[in-house]
Amino acid sequence: MKQEFITIQEKETTARVQMSQVQAVRVKDLTKKGVRVYKDGKIGISGAVGDVPDQELMDNAVQNLNAGIEYPYPLSRNLRDHRTYNDQPMGSQELLEHAEHILAALRQEFPDFSFSEAISASELIVQMRNSEGLDLKYSDAFFALTLILKEKSTANLFDGALICQTRKFDRDRFLDFNRGFLEAYRNKVDLPKGDVLPVFTLGADAALGFIGRSLNGERFAKGSSLFSGRLGEQLFSEKITIELNRNPLITGRRFFDAEGVVLPDDRLPLIEQGQLNRVLTDKKTAQLYNLTHTGAAAGGYDDPPTIDGSHVRSLAFRTDSKDIKQALQGQPAILVFMASGGDFTADGAYASPVQVSFLFDGERLLGKLPEFTMRSHLNAMLGKDYIGTFENTCFYLGDIPSQLQGCYMTIF
Amino acid sequence: MYKFPEGLYVDVRVEETFTTVIRFKQLELQGQKVRSKKGAFVRVFDGERWFYSSTTDLESVQAQINTLAQMAKANPDILEHPVIAALEVHKESVLRYDQDSVTDVPVQEKQDFLESVLGLIKDPAIVNYNSAYVDEKTIKSFYSSKGAAITYDQQMCGVRISLDIVCGENKDQTAVSRGTANFADLKKTLPFFQDQIAKDVAFVAAAEPVVPGDYPVLLSPEATGVFTHESFGHKSESDFMVGDEAMRAEWTLGKRVGQDLLTIIDDGTITGNGYTPFDDEGTKGRQTKIISNGILTGRLHSVGTSVALEEDVTGNARALNFEFEPIVRMTTTYIAKGTKPLQDIIAEMDHGIYVETLKHGSGMSTFTLAPARAYKIEGGRITAPVKISVITGNVFSTLQEVDAVSEEFELTSFVGGGCGKMEQYPLPVGFGGPYTRVRKLKVQ
Repeated sequence: MKQEFITIQEKETTARVQMSQVQAVRVKDLTKKGVRVYKDGKIGISGAVGDVPDQELMDNAVQNLNAGIEYPYPLSRNLRDHRTYNDQPMGSQELLEHAEHILAALRQEFPDFSFSEAISASELIVQMRNSEGLDLKYSDAFFALTLILKEKSTANLFDGALICQTRKFDRDRFLDFNRGFLEAYRNKVDLPKGDVLPVFTLGADAALGFIGRSLNGERFAKGSSLFSGRLGEQLFSEKITIELNRNPLITGRRFFDAEGVVLPDDRLPLIEQGQLNRVLTDKKTAQLYNLTHTGAAAGGYDDPPTIDGSHVRSLAFRTDSKDIKQALQGQPAILVFMASGGDFTADGAYASPVQVSFLFDGERLLGKLPEFTMRSHLNAMLGKDYIGTFENTCFYLGDIPSQLQGCYMTIF
Repeated sequence: MYKFPEGLYVDVRVEETFTTVIRFKQLELQGQKVRSKKGAFVRVFDGERWFYSSTTDLESVQAQINTLAQMAKANPDILEHPVIAALEVHKESVLRYDQDSVTDVPVQEKQDFLESVLGLIKDPAIVNYNSAYVDEKTIKSFYSSKGAAITYDQQMCGVRISLDIVCGENKDQTAVSRGTANFADLKKTLPFFQDQIAKDVAFVAAAEPVVPGDYPVLLSPEATGVFTHESFGHKSESDFMVGDEAMRAEWTLGKRVGQDLLTIIDDGTITGNGYTPFDDEGTKGRQTKIISNGILTGRLHSVGTSVALEEDVTGNARALNFEFEPIVRMTTTYIAKGTKPLQDIIAEMDHGIYVETLKHGSGMSTFTLAPARAYKIEGGRITAPVKISVITGNVFSTLQEVDAVSEEFELTSFVGGGCGKMEQYPLPVGFGGPYTRVRKLKVQ
């Protein structure tokens, strides 16, 4: 009987912030364990929160074999890969000192705003090992800040956020950037003239969410994906490459999938130069539908591997353009900071309200724009109206790289 | 039970949770997960700052209390602190699911029920489907240094199916979900699933893109529930108001915010996803009228916010689970039923949009509803299905636009998803209400 063990250890200290003051301190130290056993083409799984003995979990997993869940696929094997991305996690005292300093500065310099939510320091270890020689370990540590900002003069629930996730925290840089951000926020400006304008978004979560569902290998094979039957076809602009990216330096997440698959160079392009070349598959989906296996298994620590799920955190556009200012050629643009609640229809039409955005010249935030709604279609956003995907050098969000993506949208 | 240090307020919440998750991919079993887990959340308050700790080692709770106490500063007057003085002290056990516990239903019987739901899927247009049976029973115990000693249980079970539907060139992914408080009631929901699956297929087959614009919109009870939650419910969570003069001025109690026909209630005593007999600070659950006949009459509180705003506690301090502290959340929030028959409301509408089911919603200054199934209303009748990306409205003005609520009324529960508030997602909440007409919303 083959065996597989998954362990997740999380430690976190969080300063809970209310009205720009540390209101509480929370500490967590949790262990989650999952055990899988494989016998006669079946899988049995057990799991627990807490440091439960392996033998107890093993017994439960063996009992779960009786459920008769099919898993006749080869296990990942003979690979030892231990990676530590931050061996100097921030301690509780340093965290609280940063929190108090940042909040004192914000209270003093920006009394017209209040800030709430959390500043935390966390450590994470994810291990996956099995009886076939697989031994993977991902260790990391982050400083994370999410401060919901509220203009004291408005009756909104909130008006934006300061965000940072980083392995090494550069407090001076954080404060310098956010001073500029909040100054721009104070400067209220009108929308540029025109119905169709260049719009840049921080990342591309909305599009990647829809594309991730459409790249699901099972949906692709069953004919229910927008991309079904289009392998090898040109879907988008030739500038666009979308890849499965498991590089923790880019994603801030573990480097292997739920079946212990590690990608060569931690990345695999699915759409290359606009052409659909691969879809998302786990071992089962690849074998069942005769598709290329792409190492996209998802699932919790005590769940069977599955191709289901959004995959949005594992998908990334490759940066394809360099100079936003040059791309704009003097045209004023919109930089969207918060657009919550929009969606795509099944055939790719997109609309979303934009709650927080800035007038943008390609380098600097010039002022805060009023709320508006933007509308387009996936094919246009990544086709004729596509401007490019650029490295984000405008927002300081920490040392995990981020991108700005631009396209022309209808604004109203 | 626990030794509480002098000069500090301490409470301990212990949670024992039993869960079952059975997953199928089409007719093939994908997972059968039965789990039981225990954890505790400890809070210590010294009058200036709270200190929290969560643990899965129940043997270490006393040690957690002692550690947090060392971080705090002893305060001999802690019991006179207004927040601590306002904390309710109950000694009560409310175990309402002892007799029909999901823990007593064999896992095979749960799987058999899910397979009976899957047996309803026969339409060839459904090219793929994933499903899950989910149940969860939690027994919570709450103890405080003021003497509270409460034990109660919460329970839900349900089925969720996601469907991939292909009708010629039309394709869509839809989902059907229903939850109940006990397994016997869940077994009665087969007709619901049959009806919803058929409607989803018919919708995908015929839906055309909507012509964007402003429309009168009629919301089903499900859509009314999400609308109520997103357009106004979050605004009634008073932690957003503490120390915020602009918010308090905008939402002053006694202010007219809607027409006479509009009454909005939050009620933690209702059976379903939002059932909260005691909140996670030990406050007894209750009904709170947030809007009464168009007038703002209440809001939702933790003890801290009730003290800060000098209002009564409401039992709305809820935590996602033992890993988190309680914050102000909704329970079951709904528009009270009206007196007008649905047919009369529709008959009055020359044109508009009827929203039957939703994918999701959100609520900031602009709230959003992303419809799954929506239809045109033409000449007083619901007619053709339409594809809509998003419906939006302004939270400050839309309540005034509600001009009809039906006498038909339904509260619903579901599994999969829930309410999100920053890191604490998904929290089960109750939804529903009457059919509700809003005079004008932006439809894309």
